[in-house]
Amino acid sequence: MTRLLLERFVDAARRVPDRVAIAPRDGAVTYGELLRMSGAAASRIPALAPAGARLALLSENSPTYAAALYGAWGAGQAVVGLNPILKTEELERILRHADARTLAVDPAHPEAEALTERVGDGVRVVSLDELVRPPAGGGGGALPVLDDLHTLSALPAPSALPTPSADAVAAIVYTSGTTGHPKGVTLSHGNLAANTASIQASLPIEETDRALCVLPFQYSYGASVLHTHLTLGATLLLERSLMYPHQVLERATGERITSFAGVPSTFYLLLDRTDLSSFDLGALRYLTQAGGRMDPSRIAALRALLPEAAFYVMYGQTEASARLACLPAEELDRRPGSAGRAIPGVELEIRDEGGDPLPPGGQGEVYARGENVMVGYWADPEESSKVLTGGWLRTGDLGRMDADGYLFLEGRAREMIKSGAYRIAPAEIEEVIRRVEGVFDVAVVGADDPVLGEAIHAHVVARDPGPPTRRAIMSACKEHLARYKLPKHIHFREELPRTASGKVRKHLL
Amino acid sequence: MTVSSESIRSKLRAHILESFLFTDDDDALADGDSFLEKGIVDSTGIMEVILFIEEEFGFTVADDEMIPDNLDSVDALVAFVSRKRAT
Repeated sequence: MTRLLLERFVDAARRVPDRVAIAPRDGAVTYGELLRMSGAAASRIPALAPAGARLALLSENSPTYAAALYGAWGAGQAVVGLNPILKTEELERILRHADARTLAVDPAHPEAEALTERVGDGVRVVSLDELVRPPAGGGGGALPVLDDLHTLSALPAPSALPTPSADAVAAIVYTSGTTGHPKGVTLSHGNLAANTASIQASLPIEETDRALCVLPFQYSYGASVLHTHLTLGATLLLERSLMYPHQVLERATGERITSFAGVPSTFYLLLDRTDLSSFDLGALRYLTQAGGRMDPSRIAALRALLPEAAFYVMYGQTEASARLACLPAEELDRRPGSAGRAIPGVELEIRDEGGDPLPPGGQGEVYARGENVMVGYWADPEESSKVLTGGWLRTGDLGRMDADGYLFLEGRAREMIKSGAYRIAPAEIEEVIRRVEGVFDVAVVGADDPVLGEAIHAHVVARDPGPPTRRAIMSACKEHLARYKLPKHIHFREELPRTASGKVRKHLL
Repeated sequence: MTVSSESIRSKLRAHILESFLFTDDDDALADGDSFLEKGIVDSTGIMEVILFIEEEFGFTVADDEMIPDNLDSVDALVAFVSRKRAT
């Protein structure tokens, strides 16, 4: 059986305790330090909630986030990673749905105070920094229970972290859904262990790698970068954003990074806003790209600028822990536009609308099977049964497969917008806009965008009289939705095209 | 400072408030607020800010000028625009 991630992390930490594990711009943490922080968290978490409970983490990518994650696993709890750019309302909805008993938060987070007030008595809020702080003296004894952001009592760290069972829930990853239906992708320790091993078998990751990570740990791609490196003893260098790409590249050069993972918009930003050839990225061995289809001509442009770096296209989804397929770098020229073939331990099939497998070249929905496929959506057997059928995962992606098993994606069967690698349910945005005064009707769709893949367009029908202003609509969206869900364009229309049964014909918008 | 610098500030503030905060409430934005830290602007939004200052103030922002010291707050933008206009 595949060894679980916690056990592999502990082994790596013991093997290379002095190597840097995670390095933000300030405050690099070694493996030995990260293990002690994880142990401190594991010793404190049982006093906050029993084994089997959910611990929510609200923080930017950081060593403390990783330590709390491993600490929670050591204490037998599942982790709900909260994207720090979500708004209070979105965060509260997730906390409630996951029934998280504890929220460990970076006290500097702008929503920390408002969220603490809103969640009230049902959730214990603790400081993430304090949760993972190793005890100073080794004494201790007082129980670290608190309902605010004050100091936790120091307890001695256990000498080792216990190993959870493969079937236990390790993480719940929330993706966009409607207000009434938050979708919590529930992943077991076995799921994550299997997918991490499969990815490691597909990429040239080495334990001496120094990978630059800009992807959020709270979502599957960022989490997979974290797990694939921290189980090997490799080093992750953290950058918060590509807002200032020049600054990121200067660090990449100075730190001699060996790998970099991005989504299409990451690479488009680097291509469009920097002169990549002026940076010495000679130590860079490979790049990975996932999170949506990247234009093959842009991949070619990137490779021309970084000829020494191998480029790996990957495909997957949160419901599959992270990855389902990988296009080996050497296949890129032979099969441009392909999303790759199934990674070890994964089976892929293309099926028709009736669920029957199609021969090579046939176009249909991508189905997947493997130990990496989720347990289901948290507390939602109905939605789970729609995508988990007969031991297979219905991905909702449309595509075809060539005779050698290489996948070519051709859109989505379900109505979701993919913008900047985020998967966004239009209904979530429509709910917010519909509440704006003066709005009669609304339909939200994705439309092609050169950087984001798809940009969000809202088509609004105004109530007469008193049409809403663009500002009123955007202001409401900004108040209730994370920035990446904000419409890029608002179109005012007389009416929305509808079918006889009243359904909006979004393809006409 | 000169009237010109105040006029730059006023134009920049109005743009950020309207295009990123969707309000005319002046209190919604402090001049020292970090766009990145406060989540006011993201990696695609910063391009809109750059386009605005290029069009409004008539100069080009070079790749290596796209750094937080120049762009990450109203104060930083005012200083950057003033420097560029002086050259």
